[in-house]
This record gives sequence, C-alpha cells and structure tokens, in this order.
Amino acid sequence: MIGNVIKYEQDNIDTDVIIPGTYLKIHDYNELATHAMEGLDPDFPSKVKDGDFIVAGKNFGCGSSREHAPIALSTCGIKAVIATSFARIFYRNSVDGAFLLPIEIDDETYQKISNSDQLEINIENNEIKNITKNETYSMKPFSEIIAKIISAGGIFKYKK
Amino acid sequence: MTETLFEKIWNSHIVVEKENEPSLIYIDRHLVHEVTSPQAFDGLRVNHRKVRRPELTVATIDHNVPTTDRSLPMIDETSSTQIKTLEKNCKDFGIKLFGINDPNQGIVHVIGPQLGITLPGSTIVCGDSHTSTQGAFGAFAFGIGTSEVEHTLATQTLWLEKPKTFEILATGKRKNPFAVTSKDIILSIIKKIGTNGGTGHVLEYRGDAISDLSMEQRMTICNMSIEAGSRAGLIAPDEKTFDYINNREYTPKNYDDLVEDWKNNLMSDSNSKFDKRFTIDVEKIEPQVSWGTNPAMVSDVTDKIPTPEEFGQNNEIQIESAKKALAYMDLEPETLITEIPIDRVFIGSCTNARLEDLIDAATIVKGKVINSNVSAMVVPGSQMVKHEAEKLGLDKIFKDANFEWRESGCSMCLGMNPDILKPGERCASTSNRNFEGRQGSGGQTHLVSPVMAAAAAIAGHFVDVRDWS
Repeated sequence: MIGNVIKYEQDNIDTDVIIPGTYLKIHDYNELATHAMEGLDPDFPSKVKDGDFIVAGKNFGCGSSREHAPIALSTCGIKAVIATSFARIFYRNSVDGAFLLPIEIDDETYQKISNSDQLEINIENNEIKNITKNETYSMKPFSEIIAKIISAGGIFKYKK
Repeated sequence: MTETLFEKIWNSHIVVEKENEPSLIYIDRHLVHEVTSPQAFDGLRVNHRKVRRPELTVATIDHNVPTTDRSLPMIDETSSTQIKTLEKNCKDFGIKLFGINDPNQGIVHVIGPQLGITLPGSTIVCGDSHTSTQGAFGAFAFGIGTSEVEHTLATQTLWLEKPKTFEILATGKRKNPFAVTSKDIILSIIKKIGTNGGTGHVLEYRGDAISDLSMEQRMTICNMSIEAGSRAGLIAPDEKTFDYINNREYTPKNYDDLVEDWKNNLMSDSNSKFDKRFTIDVEKIEPQVSWGTNPAMVSDVTDKIPTPEEFGQNNEIQIESAKKALAYMDLEPETLITEIPIDRVFIGSCTNARLEDLIDAATIVKGKVINSNVSAMVVPGSQMVKHEAEKLGLDKIFKDANFEWRESGCSMCLGMNPDILKPGERCASTSNRNFEGRQGSGGQTHLVSPVMAAAAAIAGHFVDVRDWS
C-alpha cells in the first residue's frame, strides 16, 4: 500500500473536527466526505488524493462514537491513519467497517515522517518504508483479533 | 481468586471465549437514537436480517430534535428525514420508540435510568460515546459505532477485547458540596490523568467520596469517563442505586429478587487487583472551569489561565496544543478565570440536565436576572425531567431570570439542531466536550457545573460559586 502523507502535528484530533456534528444528518457518504476534517483543515477534501495517509499524534479520534468519522476520511480516499495512539471507539469503528487502517507508531517514527512523504505500508511484516527519505520504520503490530477482522474485511465478514 | 466488579459483569456475559480471540459478549440492553442507527438498519435490510431481540432494544430521538415548540413543523429537512427514518425503522423492526411527542422522550442516557431500563450488572450499549453514563448503576455500559449497532441488532452480542481495569479512588469529603459538584470531581480527575489516561480501561470509581454522591451526581462522573479515553465508567450499586430503580415504569417485576442478587454479587472483591490505580482527595477540589479545547485543559476557578509552558511542562506537543487552544479560545495566558466574560449559557446535556442539576442551578438563579450581555437557556434532559421541574416551579424561576426554558434533547451540547453558538461566542456550558467547533463553528466552550453556569449567567463572567449569596 503506497500513499502520500498529510501530517497534522497535534494530539487529540477529535471526531468533532474530523466531521462536525451538524453533518451527522447526512446519509450520503460522498456528501459527508466533502466536510471531512472541516473543523481542522477546511482545504482537506480538495487536497486529499485517493490512497493518502493521515499522520498525527496521540489519541487520534477521541470523542464521539460517530462512525461517520472514519467513513468521511475513507470516502475521501484515506487508506490509513498513522498515529502515536488512537481513541478506542475510532480505532474499532475504522476496523469494524474496514474503512481504513489505524496504524500505531512510536514518537520517534512520528517525528521522522514529514508532510508529503511517500510511504509504503506493509502490514504483513509490520513495516513502513519512507520512499521519499529512504528510511524504514516499524509499526506496532495489530493484535491477533484486529488482524483477523481486518483480513476478513470487517466485523460482519469475520467469523461468517 | 478475587475479581473486580467489571470482571464479574464481563464473566457473566461471555457467550464464547477462546484464547487469543475476542470474546463474544451478550448484550442485555441496546439503546438506539436517530444519528448512529440509519446505516445499521440499512445493513439489516440488505442482508435480510431481523432484529434478534427487539424487546431488549429501545429507541428515542434526541440528537437533532428542535428544543423549541414541537407543534410547529421542522424546518431542517435533513433532520426531519433522519427522525422519520428512525420512526420507520422502529416500526418495521418492532422496536419500542419514545418518539418526539412521547412523554418519555429525552436524551437516551437520561431516559434509560429514569425508566428503570438501566439495571445493575447488565451490559448496555448505544451508538453514542456517553453511554458510559449508565455505568453509575454498576452496569458495563459503553458506546459503539454503527457497524457494532448493526451487529448488536442482528445478534444481541458483540465481539470484544477484554478491557483492563482502573481504580479511581476518591477519598475525603467535599468542603462545600453545593458549590463543589460531581462535575468538578470528574473534571479534576481528567485534568490529572489526561484525555487518554483511561484508554483501554474500564474505570471503577470507589471510595467514600463516591458513595456520598446521589445517583444523578454519579451519572455525571461516569458520563465523562469517555473524556479520559476509557471504555466505560463503573460504580458499584448500593442502597441509593436500588432505591433509584424501584417503582420506575420498566422496573422488572422481580425487583426484590434482583436486589438480593445485586447486593450479593455486584462489588469488587476486597484486595481485587486493578491494572491501574489513581487516588484523588475531593477535599482539595475547587469549582472547575475549562479554558482550552479538550476536557483536560481545566483550571480551578480561583486560578489563572496557565501559560502554554506551565501547561505543557517541557512537552513540545502539549505546549503547542495549549497555544493553539488559547488562540482558538481567544484567551490570554495568566488571565484570571473570574475575569473571562461570557455571551451564552447552556444548562443541558446528558452530563448535567437531570432534575437535581436544575434544582441546584435554580437555587442560584432565584430572584435574580441574567446579565444583559448574556443569553441563556435551560434544556432539560428529558420530558420527564422537564415535567418534574415544572411541578417544582423551576421553569418560572428560570424564565423570570430571562433564561429560555426549552424542550428536551441534546441541543447545544453538539450543535446538531438549531441551538448553536455563533463564531466568537463564548459559552459557559454544563456539557462534556469543549472541542473546537463542538457547539457551533468558531464557538468557544467552557465546561462547568450547573451552579457555576447559572452564576456566570447572572454575573456575565465566571464567579466562584462558593462566594455566591
């Protein structure tokens, strides 16, 4: 999986900035996606490209249980969020619907990755290759459970 | 082997357990609202599935209902569609709905306990992070996303990784229990353990300072457990819990037998092992006011707004986040909290819109009028709260003070209905999140208790409610 980085150098990026409450009435995913990250970076929908990755700090996706958050990012084309830690419901929502990969990295790796870097994520060997910088980092392996749900393609396909 | 309360509830709900696999956990109660459920019902239809146990599923409409006159047609078409969708889904799938004009309508986490649906020892889910509120009854209650809503509707179970346990021991006695509320206790806890201090854990609040609280105050504590990143909050049930549940509309008929069972089983064994522990002395707690954009950015009312360096303590990212928060909040470091002027006051939300909250706020307001620069509203947590408050004449006290007295719903807590802040408006709010834009794009939220919000409405700025006369 290869993509370019959109980096937000901050902790606690909450679900209210990922998709503000007023848009939770929207049923259509494409329309929802036009408001992704509106509370933090209103230009996000115009600059994001299919296959991109978001890189951020601690506690990404804290707050509301709205699955609209990973859905909005995924519909924009985001394939993975790479953060130093995740809020639990966001993490689970991302995996349950197989919307995007929530990938945990350490602080050092987080510092090394820059905005616009091109990365290749290899979840089989828990590696992130920074093509731009010619560096390789390790990512925190998915727990066995999460890995199974991801490889099944979501919670409904898991154990079917 | 000793077990914590959480482990007892977990173990009694395991359907399937295998090593290195998630456990399949039985869900006793599923609460549903209009925002996180439409795609779940769509999923059931596409796959020709039914709701496994409709009688254990209850729905209400709370997030995007108008809080103004409900006899008028709804202006917002998308909200109206979402509400009609839930009405149709409940009809099609045989689910009990407390609809927009039902006397039991209200915020989902307020009506569950009020109706006797929320029971000790049970597992409760809802597509809403503040489901943790109901942990105050000794239930494992937690928020889920829409995929899990669909899974629960279809199977009455969920695949879950077992959370770890975290004891929050609250000792001592509050010096002024009217002015220093359970909201101040939970904000103080989050200030100390941080917004991700509880990640992966279920918090169990214990100690005399917790037993001392009423059920409604305990709900405020458990409600905000999610703001510390935790999976759920939990308080062992006691006589106050059993009394609260007795004689409610949906209290089980075998209540007496259940109480016996709860008394014997629902507590952490002595010497239980918790994965993490934190102790707080409530005697030292003052009324709290948030100044930043997450619920850990909080100060004592007698304090000043910290400088980013004081707040961040050598952590560059924390220092930057404080700078960004202060810029968004349009506040200068070292400003006295009591010198922050406010434009709006919101007394409402699943955190603080139950009857006791309104009684306490009305005590502050009685005989006074809000500051001419402030507009203020009270949004009761449910129609039942509203009705009971009106029986006590609280509506009159608030209206005489120029507060708006509204219909029940989530309202300005999350800005899904017309109750929103305008850009640059500063609000003293009894809700749970001060995130950027949470109460409306550009709105500036300060989290406080109901008595602090009421006093701020009168004074036009924050005041130490311990000095109120």
